[in-house]
Amino acid sequence: MANVVVFGIMWIVLSLLGEWGASAWIHSAPQGTGVFWGTMSNLGVITAGAFDFILIIAVPIFAFVVLMLVFSMIRFGVRKNSTDKGDAKDQTRANKAFIGIWIVASILLNIFIWLHPNASGLEQVFAAQRLSPSQKPLIVDVTARQWEWIFSYPQYGITQSLDASGNDVLYLPKNRPVKFVMRSFDPFHTYDTTTDVIHSFWVPAFGVKLDVVPGETRTLVLTPTQLSSTEQDPMLRVQCAEVCGPGHPYMEANIHIVTASAFAKWTKAQASGS
Amino acid sequence: MAQRAVAEEGNQPTPVTPDRRPMPPVLRALLWALIGFVVLDAMSALLDYSPNSPYISQVGAVAGWFGALIGWLLGIGGYEYVIKPMLGHPTPAYRQQGWRRYFQLAEDHKVIGIQYLTFSTGTFLVAGLIAMAMRFQLMNYRPTLFQYPQSYLNAVGIHGTLMMFTVATVAMFGGLGNYMVPLMIGARETVFSKASGIGVWLVPAGVLTVAFSPLLGAWTTGWRGYEPLAASDGVGILYYYLGVFALTMSSLIVAINLVTTIIYKRTRGLTWNRLPLFVWGMLTVGLLTVIWFPEIQTTFLLATIDKIVPMNMFNALGHALGFSEFFWLFGHPEVYIVVVPALATWNEIIPVMTRKSLFARPIAVLGLVFVMMLSGMVWAHHMFTNMRYSEMLPFSFFTEMISIPTGFAYLAAIGTMWNSRMRITTPMLFILMSMYNFFIGGITGLFVADVPANLQLHNTFWVVGHFHFTIIGGMVFSWLAAMYYWLPKFSGRTYNEFWGKLGAIWVFVAFNATFMNFFVLGLRGMNRWVSVYPPYLQPENFWTSIAAFFLGAGFGVNLVHIIWAWVKGPKVQENPWQAKTLEWQTSSPPPRYNFEELPVVVAGFYNYGEGAPEPVVAAQSGSQG
Repeated sequence: MANVVVFGIMWIVLSLLGEWGASAWIHSAPQGTGVFWGTMSNLGVITAGAFDFILIIAVPIFAFVVLMLVFSMIRFGVRKNSTDKGDAKDQTRANKAFIGIWIVASILLNIFIWLHPNASGLEQVFAAQRLSPSQKPLIVDVTARQWEWIFSYPQYGITQSLDASGNDVLYLPKNRPVKFVMRSFDPFHTYDTTTDVIHSFWVPAFGVKLDVVPGETRTLVLTPTQLSSTEQDPMLRVQCAEVCGPGHPYMEANIHIVTASAFAKWTKAQASGS
Repeated sequence: MAQRAVAEEGNQPTPVTPDRRPMPPVLRALLWALIGFVVLDAMSALLDYSPNSPYISQVGAVAGWFGALIGWLLGIGGYEYVIKPMLGHPTPAYRQQGWRRYFQLAEDHKVIGIQYLTFSTGTFLVAGLIAMAMRFQLMNYRPTLFQYPQSYLNAVGIHGTLMMFTVATVAMFGGLGNYMVPLMIGARETVFSKASGIGVWLVPAGVLTVAFSPLLGAWTTGWRGYEPLAASDGVGILYYYLGVFALTMSSLIVAINLVTTIIYKRTRGLTWNRLPLFVWGMLTVGLLTVIWFPEIQTTFLLATIDKIVPMNMFNALGHALGFSEFFWLFGHPEVYIVVVPALATWNEIIPVMTRKSLFARPIAVLGLVFVMMLSGMVWAHHMFTNMRYSEMLPFSFFTEMISIPTGFAYLAAIGTMWNSRMRITTPMLFILMSMYNFFIGGITGLFVADVPANLQLHNTFWVVGHFHFTIIGGMVFSWLAAMYYWLPKFSGRTYNEFWGKLGAIWVFVAFNATFMNFFVLGLRGMNRWVSVYPPYLQPENFWTSIAAFFLGAGFGVNLVHIIWAWVKGPKVQENPWQAKTLEWQTSSPPPRYNFEELPVVVAGFYNYGEGAPEPVVAAQSGSQG
């Protein structure tokens, strides 16, 4: 019984220390919340929140098992020079209370984290995908090909947005919903546009990714919430996240999140330039 | 026939006068494989003759490969020991002796087990060296060792394929399973011993096919060989499909053989309730393999045809996600095929080392069985970033739920260790480390099982860290535990406790230093399958690589130590751990047919303490005194 009490106290202390460390780690992220990603898009807040919540749940479970392994080793380990080499005195082969609590707790815990943050977070992600015309979403057509991201802005007559050095670039205004309409095909191979492969549209700082599948059109709606650019934060970049051939490591594009007025200026310059 | 009868008696030495001394089987197999390749490739070239087509076309490479495989299997001994006896000829009495018996078609499950272990270990070294090369490349954000991304991606693919299909799936199942299962159930041999003897030779064929596939053209898909990328990839992908076909066929034969053996060859009194935990593990893995391997083999043959015809099954004209669906339908049960032997090994070894009866044995067995049944219902969690919204909730539900039966292994292990008298030997230390590592693998799985978090973590280094913790941390550490535990059984010798513990601590520290970093790298935006990456990630990648090199060296230390102990280690008594299971009831190494008189089981094997019933009566043949 003494073992149980000592173990219990150590477990509580270790869990509290772990929670304190986890919380400090979560809040140490440059953006203030979320582990290394979070506040740059509305979807990122949801996904980073799910991560943080599971971390908090996982700490005491982790502490229990690790402490159990170490505690057993130290407390129940037989010293090399010990004279007593026999079997253990306690030969308990079942403990209904322990087994019952274990099974019930693991079932409840799993159902709980399935409901929150999983189902609850998903509901928020799904809800964020619905837009009313009054929100005036920005539409960006994303074309993934081996190996390039091509962005066009049909509302502004921009067929392919390029920066000064001729690289594809994604400009987004802050706080306006963006609807990415994504397809995977090669517009430059007009004789066979079906040959492209699965890519994945991922902006690490936005905390979300969506695969771009040949033959299908998929959409992703999110709202950028912070002024930044790839030069300021390399997490803010479009990165292909599904292996797509030799050019896969190079399949990225820079992003700028700018104010509404700067965005309007940029669209005019792009439209006249192209 | 008289000679054959003598050979089957088994107790007399086999007459050494050969019918006709053949070439060394491996050399002959290589020669026949070459002939088989040339003949079938020529046939395909003749059937579709064109003055402009190359002698080896895509079709010819596939046809020739099947010719080479048949030549290889006939040459290694299939001709004398399978084909000729089927036609009424006597089985030749001549067998290679000494170390040479490991280099031919064997029927002794112990020889076959060691053949599997050897192939697994050798492949572990090769694929491990490839991993070292990958880590060397990743020390710098620009191309260094691999000047072209496709060569790096091809290295990733070969590393993953070999590790998965030749080490993770094979070492504990084909290797330890073949060696230990008949001994642990009191059988003299396995049911399909000849098929088993042929099956093991599919492994080197598959390994060579995959390892040399870049000769036909680099492939960049990683270990999944996934379409539609594969269709536009280098022709080497064909030898990925065919090589994996050979490797999975080998494991399928192991599965059919061991499952049948466990069902029909248990000794008297060995009821299902008394079946050792390790054998339960092998049974569930065997059933998983029988269910899922034919599925992936069919898929790979479809993809082969799709590539050489081409059929447009898996691109925008067909169903672009179809291959991924077929692949993960097998791919998730596959990871349980890898890890269930590890879970079973924990609860096999822990009661022996803690001198305490196994806690909650029925729950430990049920855990393995439920993992087996649930594992086919979680597969689509590999596709959260491209599935329908309506599919996300059910698949995340089953994925969370599978942690419950997996947790039963911990329940039994922890309950057994509590209040025990634990002898912290090298195998026990490895088991504790494996439990720790696999727990990190499991708990990081909570994050990727959660769909919102998965939308960020999918295909980052977080996932790479997660599965290396489950597979190296869970399976490889348990494999090492089992190797140290059963070393006295294999050779009658034992290891050095100091070097064993040093090796364990070395790989444990280096492993955690390496793969803990993977989680942080993933959170900081490092994605998979890249040989070059944004410069801000370089410092952390640099230190990860340094730790990885220490890890590689640590595995080398363990390997050298085990080989030394096997050949030259100090001799030990017959049952050094005072274990109760049947494999310790015969001499070490066991005679050709294991038991002179079959043991009769009268109680379970995991009962300790005063008045615990002895599990075996009538143990004969060199049992411990």
